Amino acid sequence: MTVAKPILLAEDNPRDAELALAAMEAEQISDKVVLCHDGAEVLDYLYCRGQFKSRLRGNPAVVFLDLKMPKVNGLEVLRTIKADANLRPIPVVMLTSSREERDLADSYALGANAYVVKPVEFHKFLSAVKELGTFWGVINEPPPGSCRSTQ
Amino acid sequence: MESASNHSQTPLLETERPKPPASVPAGSSTVFLGSVAWFHRLTIEQRVLAGFSLVFVGILIVSGISYHNTSILLTNSELDGRSHDLIQLLNTIDAALIEAEDAQRRYLVTGETSYLEIYKKVTKQKPTFTAYLNDLVGESPEQRQRIGILDRMMERQLSAESKAITLFHEGGFRATKKMAFEGAGKRELGVIHQIITEMDLHERQAVARRVEESAAWTRNTIVLLGIGALMLLVLLAWVYYLIRHDITERRRIAGELQRRGELLEAANKELEAFSYSVSHDLRAPLRHIDGYAALLRKSVEHSLSEKAARYLQTISDSAKQMGQLIDDLLVFSRMGRQEMLRTAVNLDQLIKSIFSDLRLDLQGRKISWTIAALPEVQGDPAMLRQVFMNLITNAVKFTSTRPIATVEIGVEHPSSGEIVLFVRDNGVGFDMQYAAKLFGVFQRLHRADEFEGTGIGLANVRRIVHRHGGRAWAEGVQDKGATFYVLLPARRRDS
Repeated sequence: MTVAKPILLAEDNPRDAELALAAMEAEQISDKVVLCHDGAEVLDYLYCRGQFKSRLRGNPAVVFLDLKMPKVNGLEVLRTIKADANLRPIPVVMLTSSREERDLADSYALGANAYVVKPVEFHKFLSAVKELGTFWGVINEPPPGSCRSTQ
Repeated sequence: MESASNHSQTPLLETERPKPPASVPAGSSTVFLGSVAWFHRLTIEQRVLAGFSLVFVGILIVSGISYHNTSILLTNSELDGRSHDLIQLLNTIDAALIEAEDAQRRYLVTGETSYLEIYKKVTKQKPTFTAYLNDLVGESPEQRQRIGILDRMMERQLSAESKAITLFHEGGFRATKKMAFEGAGKRELGVIHQIITEMDLHERQAVARRVEESAAWTRNTIVLLGIGALMLLVLLAWVYYLIRHDITERRRIAGELQRRGELLEAANKELEAFSYSVSHDLRAPLRHIDGYAALLRKSVEHSLSEKAARYLQTISDSAKQMGQLIDDLLVFSRMGRQEMLRTAVNLDQLIKSIFSDLRLDLQGRKISWTIAALPEVQGDPAMLRQVFMNLITNAVKFTSTRPIATVEIGVEHPSSGEIVLFVRDNGVGFDMQYAAKLFGVFQRLHRADEFEGTGIGLANVRRIVHRHGGRAWAEGVQDKGATFYVLLPARRRDS
């Protein structure tokens, strides 16, 4: 198996985060996951500031972004990423409970690379997260400038 | 008003109508109130029309009376002109006859023929005088009578004078000497002069009478115009008030409508925010319930009793069911708010595409399909597709207990403006007393373990059909089958 590349998971709900990590654990990619609890933390990580000041430089292979988060919400994070020339190449996958057309339209308009609705049923959620983690973290070749591993 | 005048007229009426005098104003006031009530039943357009009609009638009446008065004045002034002419003519006649008499006498005395010429001229003029007089005097019988006398007198005067002249020719000055001094028609001339004076006086009196009359008519006309103008102004002011009142009312209603529209829009926004929050926030805990139940099962898999495993399964199933209910409710709520397309929808193709989607679900089922040629309708293709998808899957679902299911899709044309489509099956049917419940949200007529489903399908069908301006209803017999009808307007409704 190829070495998994770092995945940034933005999820404010600890239960969702735990379930997502449990899903990725099975594929041995969970240790590559950096968990952020709100949009501000995601931006801190991407811009290497605050608690992530001393992290290894380089972009994550993919960002899994929840829409509804405290402080800075998912769409605002997405807008910031896609407006920054250095961050723009990072693939961003919206991972959300919302099936609303407006959210879909807004996300794609801002440049989201994928949009995944979290299924209610755990086995579907499990397989969705597994596939996402495997695809973006293992199969997909990230853009140049991504770091090879997390610290 | 009428009763008041009758009342004061005769004592006979008094006994016939045993009303006390005090009730008279009450009677007139009920008439007034009655007409007010009648007036209040009129629409604003009718009131304004009535007002303008009254103004128009008022203008007509005032114009008519003014025309009448003015024409009297005109006639009078024309008559005055004639009277003046008549007076002048009378003076001329008087002078001419005096001149004739004078000339005749001078001729008798001097024998100078130039005097005879003057006399002859007057004689010639005499018939013209009479004709003119008759012309100018008009219809007055007195004056006509006087003209008759005058004519005779003139005739007599002139003929007497003519005799004198003839005598002069025969016997010379001597024969007519006495006549020449006394004057041949002197007596007639006096009568003529008197008649002329009478006629003159008569005419002058008539002129004076007419002047007075004209002054009275003019006064009347001025008063009438004044009153008419005042009444028309009052009427116009009343019509203006009516229109203004109506406009104010309409403006108020428009404002109220706008306010309500804004409230409705705000309520709609709130509803949207609500359903958004439902879709996002209610799903998360369900996912957690199912997720942690699964994780729990995994971690205690080996020591799990059958009962405990079933409990865990029930937790998962309930979470899933609630997830499905939430999803259905969101679809239903979105169906009411979604923008609707209006295009031609080919129902034949629509049904075909539904069958290709249902291919997998229909595997292993024995169903005899009867599908009529369906027309083209106006509507939203995606929404109509959902209608028929629901009706067809229902038919398939509720015939699952039949060894050979029959499903018929057909069309009826009850009237030129309507199309009725139906889906008929030989399934489990339903009791008609629950027919009204069928289309309600989450209404189910069967237990969950008999037929699956949340009970949202027919609610969606009804909502979509209503938004197309149509109706949906069902007929069924318990254990015999059911028919679901969808009525759609044939032509586009401008709503």
